[in-house]
Order: sequence, then C-alpha cells, then structure tokens
Amino acid sequence: MTEIIDAAAHPFPANQDDIRAYMEEPLAHLRFPGLDGYFYPAPEEEYATDLAPDGGPPGSDPVLAARHLLDGAGARAAILLPLTRGLLPDLDMASEVCAGTNAWLAEQWLEHDPRRFFGSIRINPSDPPRAIQEIERWSGHPQMVQVAVPLQAHQPYGQRTYRSIWECAAGHGLPVAVHADALGGNEFWPTSVGYPVHYVEYAAQYPINYIVHLMSLIAEGVFEDLADLVFVFADGGIDMLFPLLWRIDSDWRPLRSVTPWVKQAPVDYLHDHVRFCSQALEGPTTDAERAPWLESVDAEHLLMYSSNYPSVASQTPAAFADLAVDARQRVLGQTALETYPRLRAALAPEHQTDEA
Amino acid sequence: MTIRACLVDELPPGSSRIVPGGRFGIGVFNCDGDLYAIANYCPHDGAPVCLGPVTGTTQSDGSYQASWIDEGRILRCPWHGWEFDMRTGKSVVSPTRRVKTYPVRVENGCILIDD
Repeated sequence: MTEIIDAAAHPFPANQDDIRAYMEEPLAHLRFPGLDGYFYPAPEEEYATDLAPDGGPPGSDPVLAARHLLDGAGARAAILLPLTRGLLPDLDMASEVCAGTNAWLAEQWLEHDPRRFFGSIRINPSDPPRAIQEIERWSGHPQMVQVAVPLQAHQPYGQRTYRSIWECAAGHGLPVAVHADALGGNEFWPTSVGYPVHYVEYAAQYPINYIVHLMSLIAEGVFEDLADLVFVFADGGIDMLFPLLWRIDSDWRPLRSVTPWVKQAPVDYLHDHVRFCSQALEGPTTDAERAPWLESVDAEHLLMYSSNYPSVASQTPAAFADLAVDARQRVLGQTALETYPRLRAALAPEHQTDEA
Repeated sequence: MTIRACLVDELPPGSSRIVPGGRFGIGVFNCDGDLYAIANYCPHDGAPVCLGPVTGTTQSDGSYQASWIDEGRILRCPWHGWEFDMRTGKSVVSPTRRVKTYPVRVENGCILIDD
C-alpha cells in the first residue's frame, strides 16, 4: 500500500494576536506586518475559502486541517510549514516572529495531533547566532523535522554568512526548507529585472528564484563541506530545474579551477542534497503528458508530494496516479521518509507494529 | 615511427612548437627542462589544444580554500578551458578523458617523438 506523506502544508494563525501571544517583550506589544501585507495580493483568494473554519481564515483550524489533509487525502503524516513575515528590517523582530511562530505551532498544532502533525523550525537567516539558538531550542522536539527559511533573501543562501546555520541544521538531521514567505518586509524586486504588474506574472515567476539559491549552494561548496545537508525547495520549481542547471553544468568544466571545491558537476549534487515539493502550477496540463514529464524531471528521486494546503493551488495524491507504481510510492511518501530522518524515526515504531 | 621534432637548443624551457605528426600535428613542450609531446586535438570538442596556455591549476580541501599547484604542468585548451595534466594527458575536470600523449626522448641533441 502506498504510504502518503504530505511534505508541505501551511497552517495559519486565526489572527495576528495568536502569534503575538507566544512572543516575548519588549517586542511582543509592537506592531509587525500582517498576513495580508503582500505587495502582490492575489486578486481574489489565494487560499481556498471552503477550507476556512467558522470565523477564521483558511488553514487556521487544526481539527479541520487534520480532516482535510490527513483523513481526506489518506495521508499518514503532514509536515507543517507556517509562514512568517519575510525580511523585516528589524532583525530582532523578525527573529521574535519566528520564535513566536514556533511556539504557536508546537502548542496549537503539533500537540493537537502528535502522531500525524510534524513541524518546521522557523528561523531568521539574517541573524545567524539567533537562528542557531532557535534551532537548538527546538532540536529536541520529536515532531520538529526541518528548518524553514524564506525564499526571499538579501544574499543567496550559499554565501558564507549563512554557513554556521546550515551546519547546525545538518548536525541535527534537519533538512532546510525554502518557501516564499508572506511578504511584508524590505523585499527586493520579485524578479531580477523589476516589478511585474499583475499577480499572475508574479505567481508564475517568483518561485523560480530558488535556482539562485541552489546555484549559490553548489558554487560555494556548501554541499561538499556539509555532506548531510539537504535543501528542500518547498515552493516547487522542479519543472525548471534541469534546463537551468544545464547552464551551470556546461560552464562548470572550463571554470572549475576558480571554484576547485566544487568537485562534481553541479547536477551530481541533486540526489544527495536537493528535494522539491510538488506544486500544482507546474508541468503539462494534459494527463497523457504528465507521467512522461514526471519521469523526465527525475520525480522519482527529487520530488515529494505536498498539498500546499490551504492554497487554491492545492494538490491531491491523485495528481500522481499515472506514474509507475514504484515512482508513485516514492513521490507520495517514500522519498519524504528518506529525506526526513526525524520523521522516519517518529513513524518507525508504527511500521514495526504494522508489519508484525 | 619516429618523428624528429627539432634540436633541443631550438626549444628552450618555457617554449613549445607544433610539428607535423598524427592527424592533427603534435605539440612539443619544454617545461623547465621536462619535455612533453601532446596530440594537437582536444578530446572534448576537437580544438587545437596545444595552442592553449601552459599554466597551473587549483586544488581544494574545502570551500574558500584554493591552493595553486602544478605550475607549468597544465595545458589549458584555448576553446573551452579544459585543463590537462601534461605528464599524463588526463583531464583535470573529467579524469576519464585525456589528450593523447607521445613518448619523447633526446638523442644527439635532437628531440625525437615515438608515434
């Protein structure tokens, strides 16, 4: 039987004060950007309103979410990835929002369903010492299975300023998930050539920025130095992976001597160090083309099913129905179990019981 | 078959020349007194590899640590920058590929290449 793990679902607070209640003074009473602070608000709804509990936004009720995410989709477990507020100019506030979000997630969600809800440790990568402190604070929590950082950044993630954070995460067996955060801070242009006008342009293009982080991680030798480090690109983008990586692959040979710490061709780092979450907005639109396409992007090794709940771009496991059975099992759950050692450990005793 | 390349005196240290031989010509190099003979054909894309610079290369024990090694022993292809160790012919970046090398010796002041 195919075991389904949902590698990325997004729990939301019912309102800003839910997070504030878990923040510390002297910052807790100050204002910080809210969830609707996007400078590219979805024109109608970004989150499916039929997933909303009475009196709250979509994705804000653990009971309802468990019903949709786990019971409805037949998933064994879900990795929850709450969003924070992007790149706040006030580093301490950004870190405190992360700390509050982690405490809120642990108490309101992880405790609600300790055997099926797993969590992400939100950190502010712009403040490495504080980020490490936050990872250490939660590293003993059995349901925290990864570290999460925003897609937006002031420097690509391979650069040396971040190295100590990734070392800490890898040392604790925590993959690092990258996901576009709720924008609200001092963000760069969402594309490298300026501001598109419409949300539809933004939504199609913004996630592709992951390639900048990935090339940086490879070129700066992060994966050579940290053999256990895994980056999960949770906003999708696997459709663009190979065409973009081929570009750096072909230039790597002539330029190798400049970065001699890159000891393999860039594409050879993917299997050990890189995973993608599935995203409804990518890939061919006809069923007949879908299975061959998934094969061509090496979905079997690199892709993990994620619902992206409660986004309107939510997917169900049925999206992979046409894939060969082995590949389907890997995408829907097996790859996630291999990628997240803490998730595997948490679910292991039940495996033994099931088999006995 | 033995190819007479030139007199030793005509190829001082640091110099090279291309002589007829093989299908593409053969580059003869004097690297600090050591002689190398290399087919003028890059296994990557067929470039006249012997027209590239003789240089060194880098090695690393971790990110941001690069040391300069093999100065004067690396031939760098002029087209795509592939680096070859002149002593073995092996590509630095992809050691399963190599340029063809020839045995080279000196007799009576003349450089001879065995093809």
